[in-house]
Amino acid sequence: MAYKPFDADALIDAAAPLLQLRIAPEHRAGIKLNLKTASKMAAVVEQIRLDDDAEPAPVYRA
Amino acid sequence: MKASADATEIVEAVKSGQVTARAVTEAALARIERHNPMLGAFTDVTAERALEQAELVDSKIRNAMDPGPLAGVPFAAKNLYDIKGIPTRAGSKINRDNPPAARDATLVSRMEAAGAVLLGGLNMDEYAYGFTGENAHDGPSRNPHGLDRMTGGSSAGPAAAVAGGLVPLSLGSDTNGSIRVPASFCGLFGLKPTYGRLSRAHSFPFVSSLDHLGPLARSTRDLALAYDAMQGFDEADPAQTKRVNELTFARLKHPIPGLRIAVAGDYFLGAPEVQAEVQKVAKALEVTKTVTLPDAQAARAAAFLITMAEGATLHLERLRERPDDFDPEVRDRLLAGTMLPAVWVERAQKLRRVFRDRVLKLFDGVDAILAPATPMKAPLLGQKTAMFGGVELPVRPNLGIFTQPISFIGLPVVTVPMWQDGEDLPIGVQVIAAPWREDVCLRIAHQLETAGVCKAPVAQGFAD
Repeated sequence: MAYKPFDADALIDAAAPLLQLRIAPEHRAGIKLNLKTASKMAAVVEQIRLDDDAEPAPVYRA
Repeated sequence: MKASADATEIVEAVKSGQVTARAVTEAALARIERHNPMLGAFTDVTAERALEQAELVDSKIRNAMDPGPLAGVPFAAKNLYDIKGIPTRAGSKINRDNPPAARDATLVSRMEAAGAVLLGGLNMDEYAYGFTGENAHDGPSRNPHGLDRMTGGSSAGPAAAVAGGLVPLSLGSDTNGSIRVPASFCGLFGLKPTYGRLSRAHSFPFVSSLDHLGPLARSTRDLALAYDAMQGFDEADPAQTKRVNELTFARLKHPIPGLRIAVAGDYFLGAPEVQAEVQKVAKALEVTKTVTLPDAQAARAAAFLITMAEGATLHLERLRERPDDFDPEVRDRLLAGTMLPAVWVERAQKLRRVFRDRVLKLFDGVDAILAPATPMKAPLLGQKTAMFGGVELPVRPNLGIFTQPISFIGLPVVTVPMWQDGEDLPIGVQVIAAPWREDVCLRIAHQLETAGVCKAPVAQGFAD
Protein backbone atom coordinates (compact mmCIF):
# COMPACT_ATOMS: atom_id res chain seq x y z
CA MET A 1 0.00 0.00 0.00
CA ALA A 2 1.44 3.35 -0.97
CA TYR A 3 1.08 6.06 1.63
CA LYS A 4 -1.97 8.23 1.08
CA PRO A 5 -2.43 11.39 3.14
CA PHE A 6 -5.56 11.16 5.24
CA ASP A 7 -7.78 13.44 7.28
CA ALA A 8 -6.29 13.15 10.78
CA ASP A 9 -8.84 15.61 12.15
CA ALA A 10 -11.67 13.29 11.11
CA LEU A 11 -10.01 10.34 12.88
CA ILE A 12 -9.46 12.37 16.05
CA ASP A 13 -13.04 13.66 16.01
CA ALA A 14 -14.43 10.13 15.59
CA ALA A 15 -12.11 8.26 17.95
CA ALA A 16 -11.79 10.67 20.87
CA PRO A 17 -15.46 10.43 22.04
CA LEU A 18 -15.38 6.66 21.60
CA LEU A 19 -12.28 6.48 23.83
CA GLN A 20 -13.63 9.11 26.27
CA LEU A 21 -10.65 11.36 25.60
CA ARG A 22 -10.91 15.11 25.79
CA ILE A 23 -8.67 16.65 23.17
CA ALA A 24 -7.60 20.16 24.14
CA PRO A 25 -7.22 22.45 21.11
CA GLU A 26 -3.53 22.98 21.89
CA HIS A 27 -2.90 19.19 21.84
CA ARG A 28 -4.43 18.62 18.41
CA ALA A 29 -1.49 19.64 16.22
CA GLY A 30 0.87 17.25 18.01
CA ILE A 31 -1.59 14.37 17.79
CA LYS A 32 -2.14 14.98 14.07
CA LEU A 33 1.60 15.00 13.43
CA ASN A 34 2.00 11.69 15.26
CA LEU A 35 -0.97 10.09 13.46
CA LYS A 36 0.49 11.09 10.12
CA THR A 37 3.85 9.58 11.07
CA ALA A 38 2.08 6.40 12.20
CA SER A 39 0.17 6.16 8.92
CA LYS A 40 3.43 6.39 6.99
CA MET A 41 4.88 3.61 9.18
CA ALA A 42 1.78 1.47 8.56
CA ALA A 43 2.22 1.95 4.81
CA VAL A 44 5.81 0.69 5.08
CA VAL A 45 4.68 -2.36 7.06
CA GLU A 46 1.91 -3.13 4.57
CA GLN A 47 4.42 -3.34 1.76
CA ILE A 48 5.62 -6.65 3.20
CA ARG A 49 3.47 -9.50 1.98
CA LEU A 50 2.29 -11.81 4.74
CA ASP A 51 1.05 -15.35 4.18
CA ASP A 52 -2.34 -16.29 5.58
CA ASP A 53 -0.69 -18.59 8.10
CA ALA A 54 1.63 -15.89 9.46
CA GLU A 55 1.28 -16.03 13.26
CA PRO A 56 1.58 -12.86 15.31
CA ALA A 57 4.64 -12.80 17.56
CA PRO A 58 3.18 -12.96 21.10
CA VAL A 59 1.97 -16.45 21.85
CA TYR A 60 -0.15 -17.14 24.91
CA ARG A 61 0.84 -20.27 26.77
CA ALA A 62 -1.73 -21.80 29.09
CA MET B 1 38.46 4.01 45.44
CA LYS B 2 38.87 6.33 42.51
CA ALA B 3 35.88 7.28 40.37
CA SER B 4 37.53 5.41 37.52
CA ALA B 5 37.59 2.05 39.36
CA ASP B 6 35.34 -0.48 37.71
CA ALA B 7 33.12 -2.87 39.65
CA THR B 8 35.49 -5.81 39.28
CA GLU B 9 38.34 -3.76 40.74
CA ILE B 10 36.12 -2.67 43.64
CA VAL B 11 35.10 -6.26 44.39
CA GLU B 12 38.77 -7.34 44.50
CA ALA B 13 39.67 -4.45 46.81
CA VAL B 14 36.71 -5.02 49.13
CA LYS B 15 37.16 -8.78 49.33
CA SER B 16 40.88 -8.50 49.99
CA GLY B 17 40.31 -5.98 52.76
CA GLN B 18 42.14 -3.09 51.05
CA VAL B 19 39.02 -0.99 51.46
CA THR B 20 35.67 -1.39 53.18
CA ALA B 21 32.34 -1.40 51.38
CA ARG B 22 31.39 1.50 53.65
CA ALA B 23 34.34 3.60 52.45
CA VAL B 24 33.48 2.81 48.81
CA THR B 25 29.86 3.78 49.46
CA GLU B 26 30.77 7.01 51.22
CA ALA B 27 33.08 8.01 48.38
CA ALA B 28 30.32 7.37 45.83
CA LEU B 29 27.80 9.35 47.89
CA ALA B 30 30.28 12.25 48.05
CA ARG B 31 30.71 12.18 44.25
CA ILE B 32 26.93 12.19 43.80
CA GLU B 33 26.60 15.19 46.10
CA ARG B 34 29.32 17.04 44.22
CA HIS B 35 28.47 16.24 40.61
CA ASN B 36 24.80 15.33 40.46
CA PRO B 37 23.50 18.92 40.41
CA MET B 38 25.45 19.33 37.16
CA LEU B 39 24.69 15.91 35.63
CA GLY B 40 21.01 15.43 36.53
CA ALA B 41 21.61 11.69 36.86
CA PHE B 42 20.05 10.81 40.24
CA THR B 43 16.46 11.66 41.15
CA ASP B 44 16.55 9.76 44.46
CA VAL B 45 19.56 8.97 46.63
CA THR B 46 19.14 6.10 49.10
CA ALA B 47 22.10 6.95 51.33
CA GLU B 48 20.84 5.37 54.54
CA ARG B 49 19.92 2.12 52.85
CA ALA B 50 23.26 2.08 51.03
CA LEU B 51 25.25 2.45 54.23
CA GLU B 52 23.24 -0.36 55.85
CA GLN B 53 23.91 -2.66 52.90
CA ALA B 54 27.61 -1.72 52.92
CA GLU B 55 27.75 -2.59 56.61
CA LEU B 56 26.18 -5.97 55.85
CA VAL B 57 28.86 -6.65 53.23
CA ASP B 58 31.64 -5.56 55.60
CA SER B 59 30.28 -7.71 58.41
CA LYS B 60 30.25 -10.76 56.13
CA ILE B 61 33.88 -10.12 55.27
CA ARG B 62 34.76 -9.68 58.95
CA ASN B 63 33.06 -13.00 59.70
CA ALA B 64 34.76 -14.84 56.81
CA MET B 65 31.42 -15.29 55.00
CA ASP B 66 31.10 -14.96 51.21
CA PRO B 67 30.01 -11.34 50.55
CA GLY B 68 28.95 -12.18 46.96
CA PRO B 69 30.38 -11.59 43.49
CA LEU B 70 29.47 -7.88 43.55
CA ALA B 71 30.66 -7.20 47.09
CA GLY B 72 30.58 -3.49 47.84
CA VAL B 73 29.89 -2.33 44.26
CA PRO B 74 27.83 0.87 44.19
CA PHE B 75 25.07 0.83 41.60
CA ALA B 76 21.84 2.68 40.80
CA ALA B 77 18.71 1.93 38.79
CA LYS B 78 16.61 3.88 36.31
CA ASN B 79 13.65 5.21 38.26
CA LEU B 80 11.22 2.80 36.61
CA TYR B 81 12.70 0.01 38.76
CA ASP B 82 10.80 -0.38 42.02
CA ILE B 83 12.86 0.69 45.02
CA LYS B 84 11.13 -0.21 48.27
CA GLY B 85 9.88 2.88 50.07
CA ILE B 86 10.02 5.25 47.06
CA PRO B 87 7.23 5.92 44.52
CA THR B 88 8.30 4.52 41.14
CA ARG B 89 8.03 7.70 39.11
CA ALA B 90 9.17 6.28 35.74
CA GLY B 91 10.22 9.77 34.75
CA SER B 92 6.70 11.10 35.17
CA LYS B 93 5.00 13.71 37.32
CA ILE B 94 1.85 11.59 37.61
CA ASN B 95 3.39 8.44 39.09
CA ARG B 96 5.12 10.23 41.91
CA ASP B 97 1.65 10.53 43.49
CA ASN B 98 1.59 6.72 43.75
CA PRO B 99 2.29 5.06 47.09
CA PRO B 100 5.89 4.09 47.74
CA ALA B 101 6.91 0.76 46.20
CA ALA B 102 6.21 -2.12 48.57
CA ARG B 103 9.26 -4.08 47.41
CA ASP B 104 12.29 -3.89 45.15
CA ALA B 105 12.40 -4.86 41.49
CA THR B 106 13.65 -8.41 41.05
CA LEU B 107 16.88 -7.25 39.44
CA VAL B 108 17.61 -4.78 42.23
CA SER B 109 17.10 -7.60 44.75
CA ARG B 110 19.44 -9.86 42.80
CA MET B 111 22.15 -7.20 42.60
CA GLU B 112 21.95 -6.68 46.36
CA ALA B 113 21.89 -10.41 47.03
CA ALA B 114 25.20 -10.51 45.13
CA GLY B 115 26.63 -7.87 47.48
CA ALA B 116 26.09 -4.72 45.39
CA VAL B 117 25.03 -1.50 47.12
CA LEU B 118 22.05 0.43 45.74
CA LEU B 119 22.61 4.19 45.82
CA GLY B 120 19.31 5.35 44.33
CA GLY B 121 17.02 5.97 41.36
CA LEU B 122 18.08 7.58 38.08
CA ASN B 123 16.55 10.11 35.71
CA MET B 124 14.90 9.05 32.45
CA ASP B 125 12.65 10.20 29.61
CA GLU B 126 9.05 10.25 30.79
CA TYR B 127 7.58 6.73 30.81
CA ALA B 128 10.66 5.62 28.79
CA TYR B 129 9.12 7.11 25.64
CA GLY B 130 12.08 9.05 24.24
CA PHE B 131 15.68 8.87 23.11
CA THR B 132 16.92 12.29 24.31
CA GLY B 133 17.27 12.13 28.11
CA GLU B 134 15.36 15.41 28.37
CA ASN B 135 12.77 15.25 31.13
CA ALA B 136 10.09 17.94 31.40
CA HIS B 137 9.69 17.44 35.16
CA ASP B 138 13.16 16.66 36.53
CA GLY B 139 15.26 18.47 33.97
CA PRO B 140 17.63 16.81 31.51
CA SER B 141 20.43 14.44 32.27
CA ARG B 142 23.60 15.99 30.89
CA ASN B 143 26.26 14.13 28.95
CA PRO B 144 29.44 14.04 31.07
CA HIS B 145 31.52 14.17 27.87
CA GLY B 146 29.90 17.47 26.84
CA LEU B 147 27.55 19.09 29.32
CA ASP B 148 25.61 20.90 26.59
CA ARG B 149 24.91 17.54 24.91
CA MET B 150 22.14 14.96 25.29
CA THR B 151 22.89 11.76 27.18
CA GLY B 152 20.44 9.96 24.95
CA GLY B 153 17.58 8.05 26.49
CA SER B 154 15.54 6.81 27.83
CA SER B 155 18.15 5.35 30.25
CA ALA B 156 19.61 8.85 30.57
CA GLY B 157 20.52 8.93 34.25
CA PRO B 158 22.03 5.43 34.10
CA ALA B 159 24.39 6.64 31.37
CA ALA B 160 25.22 9.99 33.00
CA ALA B 161 25.90 8.32 36.37
CA VAL B 162 28.36 5.80 34.93
CA ALA B 163 30.12 8.09 32.43
CA GLY B 164 30.35 10.75 35.16
CA GLY B 165 32.02 8.29 37.56
CA LEU B 166 29.26 8.46 40.17
CA VAL B 167 28.82 4.67 40.10
CA PRO B 168 30.56 1.98 38.03
CA LEU B 169 27.34 0.14 37.17
CA SER B 170 23.75 1.06 36.48
CA LEU B 171 20.56 -0.68 35.43
CA GLY B 172 18.53 0.59 32.49
CA SER B 173 15.73 -0.57 30.25
CA ASP B 174 15.60 -0.92 26.48
CA THR B 175 12.35 -1.13 24.50
CA ASN B 176 13.58 0.33 21.21
CA GLY B 177 17.17 1.30 22.04
CA SER B 178 17.01 2.92 25.47
CA ILE B 179 20.18 1.24 26.77
CA ARG B 180 22.07 1.32 23.47
CA VAL B 181 21.39 4.95 22.48
CA PRO B 182 22.64 6.46 25.78
CA ALA B 183 25.56 3.99 25.85
CA SER B 184 26.47 5.30 22.39
CA PHE B 185 26.23 9.00 23.31
CA CYS B 186 27.97 8.64 26.68
CA GLY B 187 30.73 6.25 25.58
CA LEU B 188 29.74 3.19 27.63
CA PHE B 189 29.36 -0.54 27.28
CA GLY B 190 25.68 -1.47 27.38
CA LEU B 191 24.04 -4.89 27.32
CA LYS B 192 20.55 -5.45 26.03
CA PRO B 193 20.04 -9.15 26.65
CA THR B 194 17.75 -11.46 24.68
CA TYR B 195 14.03 -10.70 25.10
CA GLY B 196 12.88 -12.80 28.03
CA ARG B 197 16.32 -13.35 29.55
CA LEU B 198 16.20 -11.05 32.60
CA SER B 199 13.14 -10.59 34.80
CA ARG B 200 11.25 -7.32 34.38
CA ALA B 201 9.12 -7.97 37.46
CA HIS B 202 8.41 -4.94 39.65
CA SER B 203 9.62 -2.43 37.11
CA PHE B 204 7.20 0.05 35.51
CA PRO B 205 6.41 -1.26 32.02
CA PHE B 206 6.24 0.57 28.70
CA VAL B 207 5.66 -1.90 25.84
CA SER B 208 5.35 -5.41 27.18
CA SER B 209 6.05 -6.97 23.75
CA LEU B 210 9.40 -5.19 23.51
CA ASP B 211 10.61 -4.28 27.03
CA HIS B 212 14.05 -5.51 28.14
CA LEU B 213 16.15 -4.67 31.20
CA GLY B 214 19.96 -4.66 31.32
CA PRO B 215 23.16 -3.07 32.66
CA LEU B 216 25.46 -0.22 31.57
CA ALA B 217 29.11 -0.13 32.63
CA ARG B 218 32.61 1.11 31.83
CA SER B 219 34.07 -2.36 31.23
CA THR B 220 32.91 -5.55 29.59
CA ARG B 221 33.86 -7.59 32.65
CA ASP B 222 31.49 -5.46 34.73
CA LEU B 223 28.67 -6.04 32.25
CA ALA B 224 29.28 -9.79 32.50
CA LEU B 225 29.50 -9.71 36.29
CA ALA B 226 26.21 -7.84 36.66
CA TYR B 227 24.48 -9.86 33.95
CA ASP B 228 25.45 -13.14 35.60
CA ALA B 229 24.20 -11.93 38.99
CA MET B 230 20.81 -10.96 37.54
CA GLN B 231 20.03 -14.16 35.62
CA GLY B 232 17.49 -16.69 36.84
CA PHE B 233 13.85 -17.57 36.33
CA ASP B 234 11.22 -15.37 37.97
CA GLU B 235 7.62 -16.44 37.54
CA ALA B 236 6.50 -12.86 38.16
CA ASP B 237 7.54 -11.95 34.59
CA PRO B 238 5.35 -13.95 32.16
CA ALA B 239 7.69 -13.26 29.24
CA GLN B 240 10.73 -14.69 30.99
CA THR B 241 12.59 -17.75 29.78
CA LYS B 242 12.98 -20.94 31.79
CA ARG B 243 16.41 -21.56 30.27
CA VAL B 244 19.12 -22.40 32.72
CA ASN B 245 21.52 -19.60 33.63
CA GLU B 246 24.32 -19.24 31.10
CA LEU B 247 27.15 -17.51 32.94
CA THR B 248 29.54 -15.31 31.01
CA PHE B 249 32.09 -13.73 33.36
CA ALA B 250 34.37 -16.74 33.74
CA ARG B 251 34.37 -17.34 29.98
CA LEU B 252 34.92 -13.73 28.92
CA LYS B 253 38.56 -14.22 28.01
CA HIS B 254 38.01 -17.47 26.15
CA PRO B 255 38.23 -16.84 22.43
CA ILE B 256 35.50 -18.38 20.34
CA PRO B 257 37.17 -20.54 17.71
CA GLY B 258 36.18 -19.92 14.10
CA LEU B 259 33.98 -16.98 14.95
CA ARG B 260 32.13 -15.65 11.89
CA ILE B 261 31.22 -11.98 11.97
CA ALA B 262 29.63 -9.72 9.35
CA VAL B 263 28.80 -6.04 8.99
CA ALA B 264 25.13 -5.15 8.49
CA GLY B 265 24.69 -3.46 5.11
CA ASP B 266 21.94 -1.56 3.31
CA TYR B 267 19.50 -0.10 5.89
CA PHE B 268 22.23 -0.07 8.55
CA LEU B 269 24.77 1.96 6.56
CA GLY B 270 25.36 5.11 8.59
CA ALA B 271 26.79 8.46 7.58
CA PRO B 272 30.50 8.26 6.63
CA GLU B 273 31.76 9.30 10.08
CA VAL B 274 29.47 6.73 11.71
CA GLN B 275 30.34 3.96 9.29
CA ALA B 276 34.05 4.67 9.80
CA GLU B 277 33.69 3.49 13.41
CA VAL B 278 31.86 0.32 12.34
CA GLN B 279 34.68 -0.33 9.88
CA LYS B 280 37.28 0.23 12.62
CA VAL B 281 35.62 -2.55 14.63
CA ALA B 282 35.33 -4.74 11.53
CA LYS B 283 39.00 -4.27 10.73
CA ALA B 284 40.07 -5.15 14.27
CA LEU B 285 38.04 -8.36 14.05
CA GLU B 286 39.24 -9.06 10.48
CA VAL B 287 35.68 -8.96 9.20
CA THR B 288 35.15 -8.69 5.47
CA LYS B 289 31.66 -10.09 5.05
CA THR B 290 28.48 -7.99 4.75
CA VAL B 291 24.96 -9.25 5.37
CA THR B 292 21.57 -7.71 4.71
CA LEU B 293 18.84 -7.87 7.32
CA PRO B 294 15.84 -8.14 5.01
CA ASP B 295 13.02 -5.62 5.46
CA ALA B 296 14.75 -3.80 8.32
CA GLN B 297 12.95 -0.57 7.49
CA ALA B 298 9.58 -2.29 7.78
CA ALA B 299 10.72 -3.91 11.03
CA ARG B 300 11.53 -0.52 12.45
CA ALA B 301 8.15 0.82 11.31
CA ALA B 302 6.39 -2.13 12.93
CA ALA B 303 8.24 -1.57 16.23
CA PHE B 304 7.17 2.08 16.05
CA LEU B 305 3.48 1.13 15.70
CA ILE B 306 3.51 -1.56 18.41
CA THR B 307 5.18 0.93 20.74
CA MET B 308 2.59 3.63 20.10
CA ALA B 309 -0.34 1.27 20.56
CA GLU B 310 0.87 -0.66 23.61
CA GLY B 311 2.17 2.50 25.27
CA ALA B 312 -1.19 4.20 24.68
CA THR B 313 -3.09 1.23 26.09
CA LEU B 314 -0.95 1.32 29.22
CA HIS B 315 -1.59 5.03 29.80
CA LEU B 316 -5.23 5.37 28.64
CA GLU B 317 -6.67 6.17 32.08
CA ARG B 318 -3.96 8.74 32.78
CA LEU B 319 -4.53 10.30 29.34
CA ARG B 320 -8.22 10.67 30.19
CA GLU B 321 -7.72 12.04 33.66
CA ARG B 322 -4.44 14.00 33.67
CA PRO B 323 -3.42 14.86 30.11
CA ASP B 324 -1.84 18.14 31.16
CA ASP B 325 0.48 16.44 33.63
CA PHE B 326 2.35 14.54 30.88
CA ASP B 327 5.43 15.79 29.08
CA PRO B 328 3.66 17.36 26.05
CA GLU B 329 5.75 15.43 23.49
CA VAL B 330 5.03 12.11 25.18
CA ARG B 331 1.33 12.93 25.66
CA ASP B 332 0.71 13.74 22.00
CA ARG B 333 2.35 10.51 20.83
CA LEU B 334 0.38 8.47 23.35
CA LEU B 335 -2.91 10.17 22.48
CA ALA B 336 -2.26 9.42 18.81
CA GLY B 337 -1.43 5.85 19.80
CA THR B 338 -4.91 5.34 21.28
CA MET B 339 -6.40 5.91 17.82
CA LEU B 340 -4.36 3.51 15.67
CA PRO B 341 -6.42 0.95 13.74
CA ALA B 342 -6.03 -2.51 15.28
CA VAL B 343 -5.09 -3.99 11.91
CA TRP B 344 -1.95 -1.83 11.78
CA VAL B 345 -0.78 -3.21 15.10
CA GLU B 346 -1.74 -6.82 14.46
CA ARG B 347 0.04 -6.72 11.12
CA ALA B 348 3.10 -5.30 12.83
CA GLN B 349 3.06 -8.23 15.28
CA LYS B 350 2.83 -10.69 12.39
CA LEU B 351 5.74 -8.98 10.67
CA ARG B 352 7.70 -9.39 13.88
CA ARG B 353 7.64 -13.14 13.54
CA VAL B 354 8.35 -13.05 9.79
CA PHE B 355 11.32 -10.69 10.30
CA ARG B 356 12.59 -12.89 13.16
CA ASP B 357 12.52 -15.99 10.96
CA ARG B 358 14.37 -14.21 8.15
CA VAL B 359 17.06 -12.76 10.39
CA LEU B 360 17.60 -16.01 12.29
CA LYS B 361 18.46 -17.67 8.98
CA LEU B 362 21.39 -15.24 8.72
CA PHE B 363 22.82 -16.77 11.89
CA ASP B 364 23.29 -20.05 10.03
CA GLY B 365 26.19 -18.30 8.32
CA VAL B 366 27.43 -15.82 10.94
CA ASP B 367 27.77 -15.70 14.73
CA ALA B 368 27.58 -11.94 15.14
CA ILE B 369 26.59 -8.85 13.19
CA LEU B 370 28.02 -5.33 13.54
CA ALA B 371 25.90 -2.20 13.09
CA PRO B 372 25.98 1.41 14.28
CA ALA B 373 24.13 2.09 17.52
CA THR B 374 23.06 5.62 16.60
CA PRO B 375 22.98 7.62 13.36
CA MET B 376 24.98 10.46 14.98
CA LYS B 377 26.98 11.48 18.03
CA ALA B 378 25.18 13.19 20.92
CA PRO B 379 23.05 16.13 19.71
CA LEU B 380 22.93 19.38 21.65
CA LEU B 381 20.34 19.54 24.42
CA GLY B 382 17.20 21.05 22.93
CA GLN B 383 18.26 20.27 19.36
CA LYS B 384 15.14 19.50 17.33
CA THR B 385 16.45 18.49 13.90
CA ALA B 386 19.60 17.00 12.36
CA MET B 387 20.78 15.80 8.97
CA PHE B 388 20.06 12.10 8.39
CA GLY B 389 21.26 10.81 5.02
CA GLY B 390 21.37 14.33 3.63
CA VAL B 391 17.81 15.13 4.75
CA GLU B 392 16.91 17.34 7.70
CA LEU B 393 14.66 15.30 10.02
CA PRO B 394 13.41 15.55 13.63
CA VAL B 395 16.03 14.27 16.09
CA ARG B 396 13.69 12.72 18.64
CA PRO B 397 12.12 9.85 16.66
CA ASN B 398 15.19 9.12 14.54
CA LEU B 399 17.88 8.40 17.13
CA GLY B 400 16.70 4.79 17.35
CA ILE B 401 16.62 3.87 13.69
CA PHE B 402 19.51 1.39 14.05
CA THR B 403 18.48 -0.06 17.40
CA GLN B 404 14.74 -0.55 16.82
CA PRO B 405 14.88 -3.39 14.27
CA ILE B 406 17.15 -5.39 16.60
CA SER B 407 15.13 -5.11 19.81
CA PHE B 408 11.99 -5.69 17.70
CA ILE B 409 13.04 -9.35 17.50
CA GLY B 410 14.75 -9.45 20.87
CA LEU B 411 18.32 -10.23 19.80
CA PRO B 412 21.09 -9.78 22.39
CA VAL B 413 23.39 -6.80 21.80
CA VAL B 414 26.43 -5.26 23.44
CA THR B 415 27.14 -1.66 22.47
CA VAL B 416 30.86 -0.86 22.36
CA PRO B 417 32.07 2.76 22.70
CA MET B 418 34.24 4.14 19.89
CA TRP B 419 36.23 7.37 19.78
CA GLN B 420 37.56 9.13 16.71
CA ASP B 421 41.06 10.56 17.06
CA GLY B 422 40.88 14.01 18.62
CA GLU B 423 37.12 13.82 19.18
CA ASP B 424 35.58 14.42 22.60
CA LEU B 425 32.29 12.69 21.79
CA PRO B 426 31.96 8.93 21.36
CA ILE B 427 29.64 6.81 19.26
CA GLY B 428 28.61 3.20 19.80
CA VAL B 429 28.71 0.14 17.60
CA GLN B 430 26.26 -2.71 18.19
CA VAL B 431 27.62 -6.25 18.43
CA ILE B 432 24.53 -8.38 17.75
CA ALA B 433 24.23 -12.15 18.21
CA ALA B 434 21.65 -14.90 17.86
CA PRO B 435 19.08 -15.30 20.66
CA TRP B 436 20.54 -16.45 24.00
CA ARG B 437 24.12 -15.83 22.84
CA GLU B 438 24.92 -12.93 25.12
CA ASP B 439 28.23 -14.72 25.65
CA VAL B 440 29.14 -14.11 21.99
CA CYS B 441 28.40 -10.37 22.23
CA LEU B 442 30.31 -10.05 25.49
CA ARG B 443 33.36 -12.01 24.35
CA ILE B 444 33.65 -10.01 21.12
CA ALA B 445 33.26 -6.76 23.07
CA HIS B 446 35.88 -7.93 25.55
CA GLN B 447 38.27 -8.78 22.73
CA LEU B 448 37.82 -5.29 21.29
CA GLU B 449 38.29 -3.68 24.70
CA THR B 450 41.44 -5.71 25.42
CA ALA B 451 42.87 -4.74 22.02
CA GLY B 452 42.25 -1.06 22.81
CA VAL B 453 39.77 -0.64 19.96
CA CYS B 454 37.04 0.63 22.30
CA LYS B 455 37.07 2.08 25.79
CA ALA B 456 34.70 3.69 28.30
CA PRO B 457 36.57 6.21 30.46
CA VAL B 458 35.05 8.43 33.12
CA ALA B 459 34.58 11.81 31.44
CA GLN B 460 37.27 14.44 31.89
CA GLY B 461 36.46 16.67 34.80
CA PHE B 462 34.73 13.84 36.66
CA ALA B 463 37.71 11.49 37.11
CA ASP B 464 39.81 11.96 40.24
